[in-house]
Amino acid sequence: MTKNKHTESYNLPNNTWDEMFDQSKQVRSEYKKVMDHLDLESTEELNKKEELSKVLFMTQGITFTVYNSGEGIEKIFPFDIIPRIINATEWAFIEKGIKQRVTALNLFLKDVYSDQFIIKDGIVPIDIIYSCPHFLREMVNVKVPHDIYIHIAGIDLIRDNDGTYYILEDNVRTPSGVSYMLENREITKRLFPDLLPQCKVRSVTEYPNVLYNNLRALSPRQVADPTIVLLSPGSFNSAYFEHTTLARLMGIELVEGPDLIVEDHKVFMKTTAGLQQVDVIYRRVDDEYLDPLVFNPKSLLGVAGLMNAYRKGNVTIVNAVGNGVADDKAVYVYVPEMIKYYLNEEPILKNVPTYQLKNKDERDHVFANITNMVVKQTNGSGGYGMLMGHAATPEEIEAYKLEIIKDPRQFIAQPTISLSSAPCYMHGVLQPRRVDFRPFALCGPDGINIIPGGLTRVALKEGSLVVNSSQGGGSKDTWVLS
Amino acid sequence: MLSRVAESLYWISRYIERTDGMLRMLKINYASSQDAVAEFSWSPVIRIYCGADNGLEGTDYNSRSVLQYMVTDKKNPNSIINMITQVRENARSVQDHITKDVWQCLNEYYLTIRDPKLNTMLKKDDPISVLDILIKQGMLFYGTTEITMPRSEGTSFMRLGKYLERGIQSVNILDVKFGSVDHNPDLLTNTSYWKHLLLSIGGYELYLKTYRQGFEAENVLAQVVLNNQFPRSVIYSLNQLIKYFDLLKSGGHINAGNMSFLIGRLQSKVKYSSIKGLKQDDLHLYLAEIKSELFGIGNAFNHHCFSLS
Repeated sequence: MTKNKHTESYNLPNNTWDEMFDQSKQVRSEYKKVMDHLDLESTEELNKKEELSKVLFMTQGITFTVYNSGEGIEKIFPFDIIPRIINATEWAFIEKGIKQRVTALNLFLKDVYSDQFIIKDGIVPIDIIYSCPHFLREMVNVKVPHDIYIHIAGIDLIRDNDGTYYILEDNVRTPSGVSYMLENREITKRLFPDLLPQCKVRSVTEYPNVLYNNLRALSPRQVADPTIVLLSPGSFNSAYFEHTTLARLMGIELVEGPDLIVEDHKVFMKTTAGLQQVDVIYRRVDDEYLDPLVFNPKSLLGVAGLMNAYRKGNVTIVNAVGNGVADDKAVYVYVPEMIKYYLNEEPILKNVPTYQLKNKDERDHVFANITNMVVKQTNGSGGYGMLMGHAATPEEIEAYKLEIIKDPRQFIAQPTISLSSAPCYMHGVLQPRRVDFRPFALCGPDGINIIPGGLTRVALKEGSLVVNSSQGGGSKDTWVLS
Repeated sequence: MLSRVAESLYWISRYIERTDGMLRMLKINYASSQDAVAEFSWSPVIRIYCGADNGLEGTDYNSRSVLQYMVTDKKNPNSIINMITQVRENARSVQDHITKDVWQCLNEYYLTIRDPKLNTMLKKDDPISVLDILIKQGMLFYGTTEITMPRSEGTSFMRLGKYLERGIQSVNILDVKFGSVDHNPDLLTNTSYWKHLLLSIGGYELYLKTYRQGFEAENVLAQVVLNNQFPRSVIYSLNQLIKYFDLLKSGGHINAGNMSFLIGRLQSKVKYSSIKGLKQDDLHLYLAEIKSELFGIGNAFNHHCFSLS
């Protein structure tokens, strides 16, 4: 078989699982049609597609604003035109694994905010729970509709060098990125006409409908047309585009804190015709800022009195308040145990081996092998406050160790996992870049629904293992084949 | 509808109406400035759109610098670029209430005016081409709204903003133009002065069809205030304002307060006024009264619909 130009120029990284090529540099079957298509296109045509993708993002306003010396500059979230593809068998496995995990996490939240059997039975140590800043005593014994705490979960998956999927982290507070799953697909439709149906790619367009129906089912008032709103921190937030997209696609009202008011433990929005009662709030504001009377008193993003209305059951908040205790990285270690405890099942998707630095043995082991470790803060997110042992200078390591010793509970360490690579179109050729994958699970009264797709984040710097958008990451369209 | 959303929609529309009026005015004025008209001056235009207190005092009002000041100068709060930035910020925060087409159209307008190439063209090339590009963006907005926006309360709030702004502009233009006559009574009989006024608000052709005997100040006034067939006339704007206000009121979408009274009173005042024989002083008073009542209506919207707390 003659190798084509893209295959020839592609430098398969060592000791890494590549999404498109196997070890003998044969194109994996799920990528075959895409590769055949790419081979027909000249460099000019591919460059044109890359250019078109940028123009489309810009003119559609799929941008975030960076404020620099008082002047707003529109930026686009970098997008790579080559899709990442997941075959049907792999997807069925991922889907099953995530359903299992989210079910267990949801049971854990209900338990930890009521009877705490899991602590009494000695599965999760009590100090791990009570030292977690996201464990909110305000939520203890609060009844949430249908016992659902996690309505929307974004579970981050990575692949080690043998292709095994691992759970990197659970995001069950306000996971973001789903608008990019939807918009990236729209852009791909324009870039590669006819290719999606030829490859039998499953559609992602159901997401807003499924979410809307779930939100509707959660209304505390039994009315035909409950008022559902999306609470955004406002247009200066970098995810504002996502908030407007979701509100538009679901046909619900996009509100900001000052648009809402609480009276008689009920939430209302201020309209031109007077006050209108709100039933369900899909919030994209963190717990800490939700209600200045209960949490951060300086918050202008929330609504005074909201927590009381919530505790009275007069309004449903999505995701539930206090979910942070389930995606704390110190609690993460116990998720496989939770699955066994609550479901009596073996975990389908594995955890990345994790060391808890509060335990002296584990800490010593991590300190001795720190160049092969990634150290993270247990309540951090967005790739901030992370130490990549293999890339850090000795001074950085020493400074970080001091931080750890101050409060070891707040840190965990994991052996560096190489992350799988996927081809990206850069500077006119295909080049391998590291990727992760975040599918989105929606939980409603009728069960868990995972839309076949998700957000593939890609580390655009050569050799980098950090995919977070705040750290120079981009994204790809993700195809799940039927 | 959320008060904040209604207010944003109203202001998107007001700003677009203002930029449209301003761009057309600039275009006609620039053309006259190339015509070596002896009495040509930029100062009325600047007074109409930037107020008396603007940063341009004392300069020689050279056409290029006036255009740059009015169109692309970020330091001028009333420049087109600043108004379009406001429009786009407002639109961004109500994306779920305007159609995707309208949002993309406004976003494109914003990207167009911020393109550095446009400013270079304004400095070096033919300014009319630049003004035409921008006018076309505004037209796209009008067409896109017409075709895609549902005829719901949001559209009504947008129309309220549009016609209130239009009424204010027309009165303002008349006031400034007739005000200049005070200092230079010869203008009253100067054909090209009135022709120019009509051209700048798009009423020239209609005037020719209505009045056959040449340009007279009184007829110009009658057309711009009282002719309901002229879309930039004060009475037309008021009639439209009433139409959309009534739609909102009958749909139960607003807290009407005393607004029916305010709008109805002004409409009657304009409709039943006789312009023939108005003296110069009375004319100024008459226009000033209409203007202040239009402002009053704007304040009432703010009070009853937008600032609920």
